[in-house]
Amino acid sequence: MAKAKKSRIILARLVSMAQTGYFYTFKRPRAAKPLGLMKYDPIVRKKVLFLETKNRSK
Amino acid sequence: MAAPAQNFIQLAKALPEPLQRFFARWPPAAILPTGNTAPTPTRYQEERPNPFQRYKNPETGAWQDPVYSSRRQAELHKMAREHGVEHLLPESNKAAETRLAHRVVHGLRVKGTGVGQKVKGHIHERHMISKMEKKRTAMLEMPQLIKSFKKTSKYKWTKWPK
Repeated sequence: MAKAKKSRIILARLVSMAQTGYFYTFKRPRAAKPLGLMKYDPIVRKKVLFLETKNRSK
Repeated sequence: MAAPAQNFIQLAKALPEPLQRFFARWPPAAILPTGNTAPTPTRYQEERPNPFQRYKNPETGAWQDPVYSSRRQAELHKMAREHGVEHLLPESNKAAETRLAHRVVHGLRVKGTGVGQKVKGHIHERHMISKMEKKRTAMLEMPQLIKSFKKTSKYKWTKWPK
């Protein structure tokens, strides 16, 4: 049987670089570069850098 | 004999009224004259030798509460401590010495507060300090990280979290 086709859009998880464990989830094209954004982290109550992590889910 | 007696009288007049009343009813043996001039026990003393202790009626076997409740004992001891006459009061759980001795033996009786004691706590409580430290150092390095990320741009950035 043929393998399921990979979707063009993937979910990207962006974790806070403040080491709080807080994260946002965005959609991005699979072919695009990983995301890195300035977003609000409610645990440290500041805008901090969020970077995309490797998607470990199957 | 006259001079110390005068001193005692002056001291007694300087005491607060509840203490004066107490010492009039239960005069401490330490300050009473001895020998032939020793005064007879007061009516209160005959009834209840120690007003801070419960009393068992020898005939009926019934227990009677102390004349002074724990709260009033504590009040008397506090007043006496402030006026430097605590040693003249009868023994009580509220005496400074007794309380200190209890504190030495039992500590604060709150688990984990005594010397050498610790409580296990929940896992998040055990990891709290190290986590807070991690967040603190991360926040200290944040401006530098943002600067370098903006300078490098995401197209050339290599230090993605795993």
